Amino acid sequence: MASDLLTIALSGTRAARGALDVTAQNIANAATEGYVRRTLGMAEVSAAGGQLRNQDISLSGVRIAGIDRNADMFRQAEVRRTTSDAARSNAELAGLENIESAIEQARPYDMIVEFEAALRRLSANPVDPSLRAATVAAAGSMAGGFNIASTSLDSAVQGLHFESSAMADQANLFAGELTRINLKVTRAGAGSSDRATLLDQRDNLLERLSRLTDISTQFAVDGSVAVRLGGSGGEVFVQGGTAAPLAMTTAPDGTVGFTVGGAPVALSGGALGGKAMALDAAAQARTQLDALAAGIMATVNAAQANGTALNGAGGPPLFAGTGAGGMALGFTDGTLLATAPAGSPAGSAHPDNLDALRAAFEGNGHAANANGLLFGVSSSVASRKVTSEALGAIASSARIALDQQSGVDLDQEAANLVRFQQAFQASGRAMQVATEIFDTLLGIGR
Amino acid sequence: MTTVSTSAFYERANLQLGGLRKRAESLQSQVGSGQRLARSSDDPVAAARMRELSRRDTLSGVDRANSDRAEADLKLADGALSSTANLVIRARELALQASNGTLSDTDRSLIAIELQDMTTSLLTLSNTRNVAGHALFGGEGTGNAYAIGPGGEGVYLGTADAPLTDLGEGQSVPRSLIGPDIFTFSSNGVPTDLFDTLAALSGALATGGAAASTAASAALGQLDAGLEKITTAQTIIGARLGWIETISDRRAATNELYAQEQSTVGGADLAATITRLQETLTVLEASQASFVRISNTSLFNLLR
Repeated sequence: MASDLLTIALSGTRAARGALDVTAQNIANAATEGYVRRTLGMAEVSAAGGQLRNQDISLSGVRIAGIDRNADMFRQAEVRRTTSDAARSNAELAGLENIESAIEQARPYDMIVEFEAALRRLSANPVDPSLRAATVAAAGSMAGGFNIASTSLDSAVQGLHFESSAMADQANLFAGELTRINLKVTRAGAGSSDRATLLDQRDNLLERLSRLTDISTQFAVDGSVAVRLGGSGGEVFVQGGTAAPLAMTTAPDGTVGFTVGGAPVALSGGALGGKAMALDAAAQARTQLDALAAGIMATVNAAQANGTALNGAGGPPLFAGTGAGGMALGFTDGTLLATAPAGSPAGSAHPDNLDALRAAFEGNGHAANANGLLFGVSSSVASRKVTSEALGAIASSARIALDQQSGVDLDQEAANLVRFQQAFQASGRAMQVATEIFDTLLGIGR
Repeated sequence: MTTVSTSAFYERANLQLGGLRKRAESLQSQVGSGQRLARSSDDPVAAARMRELSRRDTLSGVDRANSDRAEADLKLADGALSSTANLVIRARELALQASNGTLSDTDRSLIAIELQDMTTSLLTLSNTRNVAGHALFGGEGTGNAYAIGPGGEGVYLGTADAPLTDLGEGQSVPRSLIGPDIFTFSSNGVPTDLFDTLAALSGALATGGAAASTAASAALGQLDAGLEKITTAQTIIGARLGWIETISDRRAATNELYAQEQSTVGGADLAATITRLQETLTVLEASQASFVRISNTSLFNLLR
């Protein structure tokens, strides 16, 4: 069949309309998260010359070949990797900052110094009832400070647990969505707008999943994705239409572990990885805080046992309980402070045992240990802050690089609008020419 | 072809403007509080140093209070010693009068009564209370320092050591003297105390007779030795007061250094901070203005 100008023009207008639709879609989705710029693929329609007709002109216009997604797999993978790192360090930093506030705002260091000061004040007159009461009160506030630090640390840990378990649930939700998309995308026709939308959703879900945990992905030709957690040799999380459940296990010391389908995985990235690291740091801080409290209680109680109280009897332990959370006063009566050495009579103002306590308190370096604890926590926050800023910048630039390649440029779309409008008009003009030719033919012989 | 996608442009602008705003806010809070460190993690090393400095500040405050107290005790002791010295001098005058052979027994018995009264005064002086309400010369005991024994001699009730006050930096000072360092002395190799001397003298004078004037002469030597002991004690007290003053001066100097270090380590340098804030704000304003200008240049504005 020879070429038909009207049909060619019609196919041209149809293609131009399609391209205008895609352009309008791009403009409409310029700010949509995860939207990848589409372009319309076009292909020429022409018949191959057959036998005896190899000189024939056989043109049939243009057809829409399909919708292309301008997605760069490498840049998308980079965004997932860097986002995962940035999310991990952000989550870890946030957790560590909570731990820092929990310990710092309870002011254990200041409380220890106040107790030291009270002991020193008492040494000026060990039998003064008000100084004794003040010393016991300072010991009480020190115990209170440790209690508050312990409780705040507990609630920080609880908050981290809550967030982690919510995030694990969210990851399971995403995995479920991914299995549905996997099934749908294998059925969607190649080049269809449906497929492009599904792939957008798939990539968007993968990116959101990578914010939660470190994933390694493997794409099949049909567009479905297999996801593993905990590195490329990790456990299979999503494969085709099935997802293994991600579960969180909590150890007695508050640290958490994760399993996929029952098999343990080590998550080194994503917010879940960061929370797990923060929980490790919290467990460590708690051990140190408990050791600090236990050390102080041991020093003071040993000194009490070595001395004589104002009533002439041996001193009972000033502190009871175990750990920072259980630290409590053994008595509140100031006269029971054993300031005098063993064997002193009742009412003795002899300060030898008090001096020994002060020397032991200073010698055991409780204040220095508390300072060291605060320094350890705050310096890990400071160093994570630097890491987090760096990883955030890297993730942002990966994101920008992806956006530059796959995002919508409104100027370009505006130019496309003009271009395809002109193409449409030109095809219309071709139709007009076809009509005129037809009219000319009809006019022959009139 | 590298396109500049619209979302990439907004993403970048968001990042830059956000960073500048954050920096401006941090500088603003530094200017507001005058402190460079809002939380320890802003500068962990400086924060640890600040905690150490504040510990020293707190403890040195206690040291200052304790040393003021020791100073007050020592001044009280000095006053009590002066009164005791006056009393001994008066007793010596009376002994000198009584040693005069022309005095009648009646006159001597009057002197004996005065001396008797002086024994009571001496006991009161020896039991002077310190700032805390304990016997100043009773060592670390809490009750009286002296009682009068059956023979009129002084019985020391306190402990063997004077209480020590910690002045900080490992220095300490005894904040008083114990009774035996003041009231006990030996005359011609015989140990005795002021109470005994006064009691023996007043007893001998009350008895009268020839022995009275001899006893008065003998008492003169003893009182001289006693007075010498008291002036020695006063010198010791003076030396201790001097020591406290030296340590206090040193403490004040150290505290000044600490305060200086605190403001260097933890304080915000106002001039530098405000300058940096201004700089950040200028950059922020410029970025905002250029953002508005650039985001307005869309091809759609030109296509009519």
